[in-house]
Amino acid sequence: MVGRRLVVERRGTPSLLARILFPLSSVLGAVIIGGSFLLAAGHDPIEAYRIVLQSSFGSDLTWVRTLISATPLILTAIAVAVAFRMKIWNIGGEGQLLVGAIAASGIALALGDSVPSFLAITASLAAGCIAGAFWASLAALPRAYLHTDEVISTLMLNFVGLYLMNYLIFGSISPWRDPESMSFPRGRLIPVAAELPQIWMRLSIGLPIAIAVAVLFWWILRSTRWGFEIRVIGDSPLTGRYAGMSVPRTIMSVLLVSGGIAGLAGAILVTGSTHSLAPGSLAVGLGYTGIVVAAVSRFNPLAVIPVAVLVAGLSNAGSSLQVLGVPSEIVVLLQGLILLLVAAAEFLRENRVRLVSREDELETQAS
Amino acid sequence: MNDNIIIVTIAGAVVAGTPLVLAALGEILTERSGVMNLGIEGMMLMGAVFGIAGTLATGDPYIGVVAGTIAGAGLALIHAGLVISLRVSQIVSGLGLVIVGTGLSSFIGKLPASPLTDRASVEGFHRLLPKGVADLPGIGPIVLGHDPIVYASWLLVGACSFYLFRTRTGLAVRAVGEDPATADAAGVRVGLVRYVHTVMGGALAGLGGAYLTIALTGIWQEGITAGYGWIAFAMVSFSAWRPWRALITGYVFGALTNLSFTLQLAGVAVPSDLLAALPFLLTIITLIAISARPASARGRAAPAALAVPYDRESRVL
Repeated sequence: MVGRRLVVERRGTPSLLARILFPLSSVLGAVIIGGSFLLAAGHDPIEAYRIVLQSSFGSDLTWVRTLISATPLILTAIAVAVAFRMKIWNIGGEGQLLVGAIAASGIALALGDSVPSFLAITASLAAGCIAGAFWASLAALPRAYLHTDEVISTLMLNFVGLYLMNYLIFGSISPWRDPESMSFPRGRLIPVAAELPQIWMRLSIGLPIAIAVAVLFWWILRSTRWGFEIRVIGDSPLTGRYAGMSVPRTIMSVLLVSGGIAGLAGAILVTGSTHSLAPGSLAVGLGYTGIVVAAVSRFNPLAVIPVAVLVAGLSNAGSSLQVLGVPSEIVVLLQGLILLLVAAAEFLRENRVRLVSREDELETQAS
Repeated sequence: MNDNIIIVTIAGAVVAGTPLVLAALGEILTERSGVMNLGIEGMMLMGAVFGIAGTLATGDPYIGVVAGTIAGAGLALIHAGLVISLRVSQIVSGLGLVIVGTGLSSFIGKLPASPLTDRASVEGFHRLLPKGVADLPGIGPIVLGHDPIVYASWLLVGACSFYLFRTRTGLAVRAVGEDPATADAAGVRVGLVRYVHTVMGGALAGLGGAYLTIALTGIWQEGITAGYGWIAFAMVSFSAWRPWRALITGYVFGALTNLSFTLQLAGVAVPSDLLAALPFLLTIITLIAISARPASARGRAAPAALAVPYDRESRVL
């Protein structure tokens, strides 16, 4: 064989700078590719991105909007991060979130206005967590004890959860449905007692709760025995077993916790912003966007917070872009591109790709 | 007699199952070479939007089919580049492509120049055989009354089966999926085989998506595949990576997606949202049932090197 070929070599441990620069440059890459799509469609990409920035971070009002959207995203991303760290592919955040929202609104409606606010809120959030964990357990039990592929089962449960919510609002006269909405079915408003207190305009205490959960799981993954087991089993289940860890039990607990966090996201959405089981505002792909956020954050719960704010800002900008005639779906495309480019950059960060000639290669092998 | 509920159901299942059969067949080719493509949903969506846009732009559904097939193949080429050359996690890349395919297909469908903006619809394909034959009792609607794409899917299933199990190249493909290091040592170009079969898989998913919009729905709608791609992905393991079984499984799921229509004919009222959830529930239950079988029964089926990136250097070391 004549000529050269590509050789891939592993790099050493990357510096902190490299760990931040590579994901950042992939986001920039996605922005450039997205811009070229806009250009090809006859739009001015610079103007479009200016609108994105302005409509997400331009004023107090837009900041509040962005932070409200970031709140559930922080939680769905942590749900992904906890599971993916162990190479347990919980793609079911979307369904777990929806079921969490169904349970939280159900409990809030059942308790009514008669109970103290603190109790109503705690019960609703707890119900969301438990429901999310239960939804995850439907995939977790077969995964832990029968090795059933969790990618497909968690994903299928997303659709089941979605249709369940649609059934409760559109397909039946359920307690969740507003009895006064006949031709345009919508969810019944939860009692004021179950609404999360607001801290900055419409922004509720959901955001501090989400940030607290992020910090908690950063600490748990880093400093507890359970977090250590997750990392060891993630790298090699065999090593974990030889070290005396119960792999099925850890799989179960990771998936239940992951589902519980996603369920909490649904509960906070209902009690903090939609105040009803509102299919249109709940089923917007937060579970899937959480995967993008978690991947960009390299599955670090602390990094999830700023990345979620950034991605939430991007997602919110979609509707403002429509004013320019730009299809709002460009933001979904950008999210997908970011995920792909971050993954590709990961490879380049860990490996050096060189072009070497045949002679060089033989020399290296001889020495 | 051809209005009989059973005949209508089976004939409908064949048509509704065809996109699933095509996409699952593609994924079988891809997975047999050791690459897992989770991105089928995105590739079907791209095929769906390009299929109907091509049909509307030219008036010829077959040009639409070609456009959809190429669109699916294009997205699969990105997957191949990422997971084969850059060894990106196949799960992350597949999920990323679902999001990209969802966003891009919706973006394309809303472009000002798009022929899809005014919710235009297409007529679809004509039957292959003359009306007299297609109206024969029983066998007419079920077997003889279909459009050429359904027959093409049957031919493709047969061809893939023959290719994988009866040809030298097919043997090489399966070797790459089972033990790439040995195949490499025997002179098979592992990377090339995987690239080609990933792209072929994406092309078939694109074809399935194009058939969905051109023949089944006649219109474009954002996210029109509504989980079909994921079901096709799951069907691969139900079919034990065998093309013929994918054909049968596809029609079973086709019948399920048509269930609300069938029950309506039978005069049974079941909430449509619960019926829509049924194929997904059945997928989970089947998946669990399969994994509950003894290891000897399920161990044989999956290619041993599925989703494992191949790195020649790591073998030497």
